[in-house]
Amino acid sequence: MEQTYQYAWIIPFVPLPVPMLIGVGLLLFPTATKNLRRMWAFPSILLLSIVMIFSINLSIQQINSSSIYQYVWSWTINNDFSLEFGYLIDPLTSIMSMLITTVGIMVLIYSDNYMAHDQGYLRFFAYMSFFSTSMLGLVTSSNLIQIYIFWELVGMCSYLLIGFWFTRPLAANACQKAFVTNRVGDFGLLLGILGFYWITGSFEFRDLFEILNNFFYNNEVNSSFVTLCAALLFTGAVAKSAQFPLHVWLPDAMEGPTPISALIHAATMVAAGIFLVARLLPLFIVIPYIMNFISLIGIITVLLGATLALAQKDIKRGLAYSTMSQLGYMMLALGMGSYRSALFHLITHAYSKALLFLGSGSIIHSMETIVGYSPDKSQNMVLMGGLTKHVPITQISFLLGTLSLCGIPPLACFWSKDEILNDSWLYSTIFGIIAWTTAGLTAFYMFRIYLLTFEGHLNVHFQNYSGKQNTPFYSISLWGKGGSKRINKNFRLLRMNNSKSSSFFSKKKKTYQSNENVRKRVGPFINIVHFENKKSYSYPYESDNTMLFPLFVLGIFTLFVGSLGIPFNQELDILSKWLTPSINLLHQKWNDSIDWYEFLKDAIFSVSISYFGIFIASFLYKPIYSPFKNFDLINLFVKTGPKRSLWDKIINSLYNWSYNRAYIDAFYTTSLTGAVRGLAQLTNFFDRRVIDGITNGVGVMSFFVGEGIKYVGGGRISSYLFFYLSCVSIFLLVFYFPVF
Amino acid sequence: MVQVYLVFTTNHFPWLTIIVVLPISAGSLIFFLPHRGNRVIRWYTISICILELLLTTYAFCYHFQSGDPLIQLVEDYKWIDFFDFHWRLGIDGLSIGPILLTGFITTLATLAARPVTRDSRLFHFLMLAMYSGQIGLFSCRDLLLFFLMWELELIPVYLLLSMWGGKKRLYSATKFILYTAGGSVFLLMGVLGIGLYGSNEPTLNLEILANQSYPVALEIIFYIGFFIAFAVKLPIIPLHTWLPDTHGEAHYSTCMLLAGILLKMGAYGLVRINMELLPHAHSIFSPWLMIVGAMQIIYAASTSLGQRNLKKRIAYSSVSHMGFIIIGIGSITDTGLNGALLQIISHGFIGAALFFLAGTTYDRIRLVYLDEMGGIAIPMPKIFTMFSSFSMASLALPGMSGFVAELIVFFGLITSQKYLLMTKILITFVMAIGMILTPIYSLSMSRQMFYGYKIFNAPNSYFFDSGPRELFLSISIFLPILGIGMYPDFVLSLSVDKVEVILSNSFYR
Repeated sequence: MEQTYQYAWIIPFVPLPVPMLIGVGLLLFPTATKNLRRMWAFPSILLLSIVMIFSINLSIQQINSSSIYQYVWSWTINNDFSLEFGYLIDPLTSIMSMLITTVGIMVLIYSDNYMAHDQGYLRFFAYMSFFSTSMLGLVTSSNLIQIYIFWELVGMCSYLLIGFWFTRPLAANACQKAFVTNRVGDFGLLLGILGFYWITGSFEFRDLFEILNNFFYNNEVNSSFVTLCAALLFTGAVAKSAQFPLHVWLPDAMEGPTPISALIHAATMVAAGIFLVARLLPLFIVIPYIMNFISLIGIITVLLGATLALAQKDIKRGLAYSTMSQLGYMMLALGMGSYRSALFHLITHAYSKALLFLGSGSIIHSMETIVGYSPDKSQNMVLMGGLTKHVPITQISFLLGTLSLCGIPPLACFWSKDEILNDSWLYSTIFGIIAWTTAGLTAFYMFRIYLLTFEGHLNVHFQNYSGKQNTPFYSISLWGKGGSKRINKNFRLLRMNNSKSSSFFSKKKKTYQSNENVRKRVGPFINIVHFENKKSYSYPYESDNTMLFPLFVLGIFTLFVGSLGIPFNQELDILSKWLTPSINLLHQKWNDSIDWYEFLKDAIFSVSISYFGIFIASFLYKPIYSPFKNFDLINLFVKTGPKRSLWDKIINSLYNWSYNRAYIDAFYTTSLTGAVRGLAQLTNFFDRRVIDGITNGVGVMSFFVGEGIKYVGGGRISSYLFFYLSCVSIFLLVFYFPVF
Repeated sequence: MVQVYLVFTTNHFPWLTIIVVLPISAGSLIFFLPHRGNRVIRWYTISICILELLLTTYAFCYHFQSGDPLIQLVEDYKWIDFFDFHWRLGIDGLSIGPILLTGFITTLATLAARPVTRDSRLFHFLMLAMYSGQIGLFSCRDLLLFFLMWELELIPVYLLLSMWGGKKRLYSATKFILYTAGGSVFLLMGVLGIGLYGSNEPTLNLEILANQSYPVALEIIFYIGFFIAFAVKLPIIPLHTWLPDTHGEAHYSTCMLLAGILLKMGAYGLVRINMELLPHAHSIFSPWLMIVGAMQIIYAASTSLGQRNLKKRIAYSSVSHMGFIIIGIGSITDTGLNGALLQIISHGFIGAALFFLAGTTYDRIRLVYLDEMGGIAIPMPKIFTMFSSFSMASLALPGMSGFVAELIVFFGLITSQKYLLMTKILITFVMAIGMILTPIYSLSMSRQMFYGYKIFNAPNSYFFDSGPRELFLSISIFLPILGIGMYPDFVLSLSVDKVEVILSNSFYR
């Protein structure tokens, strides 16, 4: 038993050989490495499976015995300060490592097929394995500095993977945006760490908690400074988990390949912020105001994410906003101090959302064959519809994920979300109302996505109605070789919508134009294959078994992972057992007996709200006649007559709000980016004109002085004589005629 | 035979003299080599550099005790009897790092200079002369010798710049020489002032001077004199404008030397003379140093954002990173000074590598301005990989040396006893804002260069990826960056004891 703990330090380092070998191979022996490309998937999956077995073992021990194990080594020698490296195994670590490894393996298997024809296949696997390394390092780290180190590494992996298709300008911008936004969070995190180091003199979690508790007990610390430091620490979590003011990077991060969105931007990395807050909860809980602040940020994010997800056209962006909203639920739960339900939701949401993202990847993969390789089209829900016939297995798994996220009883998210909703009701009435409403909104937008994608008829074939010409099939291959010239213009399917909707599409035109010349994706040879395919079948087809297998497994997880937190036969449920030491650490009273009547009442209420959302969604988006008319929900109300104009306005403004991302991005662009640019221009001007100007001015001055002296000292006797005589005469004049 | 062996193994063998004199004397032999093309000269220079590096490493491995804070490998020969001028060399924990860095970077810069064909005799001679000057500067123990070495490396840089530079080379070379010569005037005044103070005959020995004390006003005047000289070299704002011009115009091998070593001479001088000889004045001036350092981080980072020229952008990023050194020196703590020394080494690697990669990229695409570039990641994946790695290192990604150095500087600032809480918070805050600005400029640089897509339909666009020489060069710079980042004790263990000694003499203890 002890041995497992002793060797736990190896957990983060097991997947590390893959990126190292691939990196060295690609740099030094590119052709040989590329010839072996499919072979590389095997070791990365194998190594991650070893870690999974290891962490399952650890988890079982944690459930049975619940001990916390910590070990540290010193990293730098210095008399004044010492940095230590170590690892900490506790319930939180074991939960997170289980999560990372299981989802990670599924995503690796999936992406073997998804990325099969991409030229960056090897690079992709190297990044993924490096991500697993750093994420596992993050969850096993035992002090704040170590957390910060892995925090940055995880951010770098995310940067590299968002910018994976770096030839697309959108991806290039998105990855920079993600990194810089995360850096803002890291800025807070670092300052917070330094602040707490200054207060307590330690980075170790438990020393930190004890010292701070003592300080508060003896009242010998400046509480506003501590609150400030804690808020700064929390900023890191805000950026990483895409909470309200710093959420802008997450939807743009969907430019990366879909498996990445499933692993990093839905299941694991964005949960790192939740992890950090959960890890530091004993610290936050003693500091006044900070818990309220956390829950406030959480509730704002819950609502904002849900409203923004309402009208997204891009399937992945819709899911991204939904992720943001769900992360808000977790943050809310942590802010309320209900540690268990936050982690429970973290687990269930990770599996459901990974399932949804992988499902959407499968949809995109099959849509690409008929609409071409542009993310504007293959991820566009406008062009989808009626996919049930063509991709039945994906449809079933996607439906499972959707229902789970909506909170329909037997599925995973129901159990966790219900707990959070109850707790929020107990915490504050307003928060409770917002949380319940958002549950309804969640059901609405998830079913909107589902219905637009799978119900009705395939909308691509209606494109000729738009009056625009056909053949949207062209592409410059992503990697640029054999780049064919663009054949046709962008077709604008949405022209046929009414004027209101076309107004915002015309705003969108600019982006369409800008990336027209860089139409994306997939290596050159697959283009040819699919062009041939396209002539024979013009319908999407189901993905390969390699992609369906992870969907299947994650579907099973989604079905059953909720049972972790269900108390069977009046004992403690597994999750509570698992988390016992951490909960004890928080000194909370825990009522182990659950009132079944209360539970049933709340459950029925929340489920009915979800059903209400689903009902509205199906009312609005159910395909009745032409699927086109239903895309835009304004259409329905336009027909109902002029007296609905007020309602119409509300809907419209909501729509615009969601479509323009709540104007937050635009605000940031104008204010922050503009300010930074202005500052850069100003300093550059100052540097060149003033500082350098003085230097150059001195140079020019000395040049003129030198020339002048040269001229004066030119050696002409007559000029000397003239100068001398004129001086003398002026002197004489002044001297003899003092009258002047 | 036994005696010869003994001479080699004991400390009496003049290791340092040989190390200092070897490059320049071997370099002057270049002119006597037969005319057989550039190949011979290149190989000769590289083998001299490697020999020198090996010699240095050997000497330091076997004759240098790292635990000992005293001066080691001392040599003392009377040179000019008339005013007690000695050829006095010796190294301690402070100088061993920069000397090894010099050896490493100069060897690689010589390797990077292989494409230079015009006047290659003179070019390689100047590289070797710089090598001598720099090692001499880091290892001398005599104040006047320090000044001589300081001047010795100016001339090669001026010539390298004015003969092998870009279009505006004469302007920037003149600017460089005027700035640095202007700084040297102050250095000379300081040297003479300190040397002639007090006793009847001039004392130039650094060891004796370190224990001497001066009246406060005089000490402040000396401090200002030395400070101006080093501030030009480091550079500290507002004396930095020679740097972007110089770096923008110089050939990239020269840039490697400039960014890798030359800037570090200023930092070394600040520690060696201003901190060690004038501790009282240093403690008076250190708050101002901190303020200037913090301002410099922000100022240079935001100026860097506004640059269109690739090399100038990297040059301003160097200026910004020098701010951390200034803050580390100004914090007057063990930790902060260690961080500053680590930053010296770390930026020596990172800056050199970035300039090298920028230069090789320029050789291929012949574009200077960032907004004209784009989409070259596809034809040159290796350069792309290396450039991204180094820009990550430059923005202080953990696991690389820049992060450790900056983190230690942060700790030094936090633990410093000298300052009030509020000032510490403010300065930390400003430094941390620099942490946000750094990724903005360095990532947008790599985005503008590599990302995106562009069809190069110009007829002369035959791009080839970096060959084995360039790959070897960048990897051999990358490995130490990673090594220091993983295990900073490699470098810290050299300087820890010496730093303690310096600070124990400091005024605030």
